Amino acid sequence: MKKAQSDAYVRKFSFRAFEGVRKGRVYRLWATSWQWWTHQWERSRAIKVLLGFIIFILVITNLFLLSFKDFMLYEPGTRIPLINPTTGEPMTTNNLLEQNLLELVRGLVTFQTSFSSQTPGGGEMGMSIGGLSIFILILIALVGSGLIADDVSNLTTEIYYSKLERHEYILGKFGAFFLFGNLVIVLPMVLEFFLLVAGLGEISLIQAFPVLIQTIIITEIIVLTFASIVLGFSALTSRRLYAGLAAFMFLFVLNMIIPSLAFSGQGEVGFQILFDVLTLLLLTSFIITGTTEVIYYPHGETSEISYIIDLANGSGIESWMVIGALAMYILLGFAIVVYQVYRRHAR
Amino acid sequence: MQSEIIVTDSLTKFYGKIKGIEDISVEIPSGNVAFLGPNGAGKTTLIRTLLGIIHPTKGTARVLGYDIRKEINQVRDRIGYVPEFDTSFIPDMTAMKFVAFCARMNGLSVSESKQRASDSLYYVGLDEERYRKLGTFSLGMKQKVKLATALVHDPEIIICDEPTNGLDPTGRVQMLSLIRSLQKNEGKDIILSSHLLRDVEQIADYTLVFSKGEIRAQGNIKELTAEKRSSISIKVRSNQEKFLQRLNDKGIESWIDGIYIESQISHDVEKEIFKIANETNADIRYLGNRSRTLEDVFINLFSKEDLIE
Ligand SMILES: Nc1ncnc2c1ncn2[C@@H]1O[C@H](COP(=O)(O)OP(=O)(O)OP(=O)(O)O)[C@@H](O)[C@H]1O
Ligand SMILES: [Mg+2]
Repeated sequence: MKKAQSDAYVRKFSFRAFEGVRKGRVYRLWATSWQWWTHQWERSRAIKVLLGFIIFILVITNLFLLSFKDFMLYEPGTRIPLINPTTGEPMTTNNLLEQNLLELVRGLVTFQTSFSSQTPGGGEMGMSIGGLSIFILILIALVGSGLIADDVSNLTTEIYYSKLERHEYILGKFGAFFLFGNLVIVLPMVLEFFLLVAGLGEISLIQAFPVLIQTIIITEIIVLTFASIVLGFSALTSRRLYAGLAAFMFLFVLNMIIPSLAFSGQGEVGFQILFDVLTLLLLTSFIITGTTEVIYYPHGETSEISYIIDLANGSGIESWMVIGALAMYILLGFAIVVYQVYRRHAR
Repeated sequence: MQSEIIVTDSLTKFYGKIKGIEDISVEIPSGNVAFLGPNGAGKTTLIRTLLGIIHPTKGTARVLGYDIRKEINQVRDRIGYVPEFDTSFIPDMTAMKFVAFCARMNGLSVSESKQRASDSLYYVGLDEERYRKLGTFSLGMKQKVKLATALVHDPEIIICDEPTNGLDPTGRVQMLSLIRSLQKNEGKDIILSSHLLRDVEQIADYTLVFSKGEIRAQGNIKELTAEKRSSISIKVRSNQEKFLQRLNDKGIESWIDGIYIESQISHDVEKEIFKIANETNADIRYLGNRSRTLEDVFINLFSKEDLIE
């Protein structure tokens, strides 16, 4: 009786031998990254809402820019071109594209401080619609915090490590974050470039091309930095909430406090600035666009008070320090992940 | 014919100073094998070492001919693993998705993994629940999901670590019959790790008995439990002490074992016993060999102290 029951329970006809060929490690890496990322996407409505906000802001920016294009290019009521204050040449549509796109990109990593540069594309025409940074910070905390912490709390590491190598696990996690970053941070900015090119008209694509490359490099560095930091925190705890809060606080609070400390001295900019990841990213974006002289307005651009951070004058904060400090942060986060996965998880 | 699926060579794993397993050199045959041993004996440690989840401190092993130190990924694709931990996997993912994901980690294509995930969940009896989120699953259902993840990539060996943990009697019967059917009908090699004798007795033909990180005994369950006794069991109803006294006086070494008297076997001992019983008015109820169970074997191997936990 019992036997019959249990046999009926086992439906043997559904089992099939696998006759195909197993795919290689690269496929598996891709499959895990994709699964981990899409799961974060599917599990959280907040991510979709925030992405909606980001798209909304980009659309508003476009509408604003396209409606007021003429005001930014010509003297009011005439067709006499405005003079670009930094180059002394007449403003072109290319200038407009460059300064606005780069401003949007920089808005990914700054909200508190107001920076501008003196190279082409700087100038006073930049409009401030508010950075996307706050949304981005929340997004990365939401997406990245659980990537490793959840595996530890759910003990799914046991299943992953019975199928994957440790380094594949780590690469898969970074891959998942990169998929997110590229789809949510890099891709919108690249699309924005093409929208602006199409919308503004009269653009020389060849001249504009470096702006596209710069946009991609800057956003990729932003993604890499965020990946390292948020995964580092995620590997330190088994609670996604703690990891997410810690990553958010680390980026947000330091950015609230450190610049005001660094800029409190007379004229000189303090080295404390090297501890603030968001400012480092911002300065790096200037370095990538070829700017070494960054003007900082602690009380907004209209105020009289301003500091100049010269990254290439041989004293104070230099470019290599900025890049070096940023690289340290990236390596530190990565090292924490590697250490935890190889040591702590190896129990 | 029995061939070895796993051969270990002085495999040792220390967690810092804590011994997990030490110097294990065994050959594990194909078929239904059980790892039997009390808590903390090192069963899970051996399994995790074979899968490359932890690295051995010393020694190595071959699984289906592949060296776990050099060809661990070959090993991993050929083993299905049911971990002992109580995990909800990814709680907000459906069973289907998770099992298919496991298949892709073992190199199955997207369409193949979906198909096989569906089949595996069907096989373990979760076809109706397969689109439910794993976080809503009961313990018994989660155990079945674990088995499905172990089956989905069609491995040759399936290692089940305490698969009946926390299951009610029905769940236990279902789980064991699933595992048995995997061996009987699908020709998989099964390794069942358990501290429950009744599970082992139901599933396994061959067993390795673990204790304190070492292997105390191994062999066919039939052979382990076979008669190898040098004494004969007697049960009497009255005058037991007098009867025992008389046996020893007559040179038949005897002692009490529970409700039985055990007597050393010698030539014509039975005749002698009946004679003494007659003389002492002891009423013999039973005379013969009690059959040994795996439990006897098990208890003989461990001191009281071992079994307290
Ligand atoms: N991650 C770990 N860190 C430290 N010690 C461990 C770890 N895992 C196991 N041990 C120790 O190794 C020994 C063997 O444990 P193991 O889990 O292999 O036993 P087991 O036979 O599977 O027991 P159980 O029946 O309880 O599952 C135990 O003394 C245990 O305390
Ligand atoms: Mg165990």
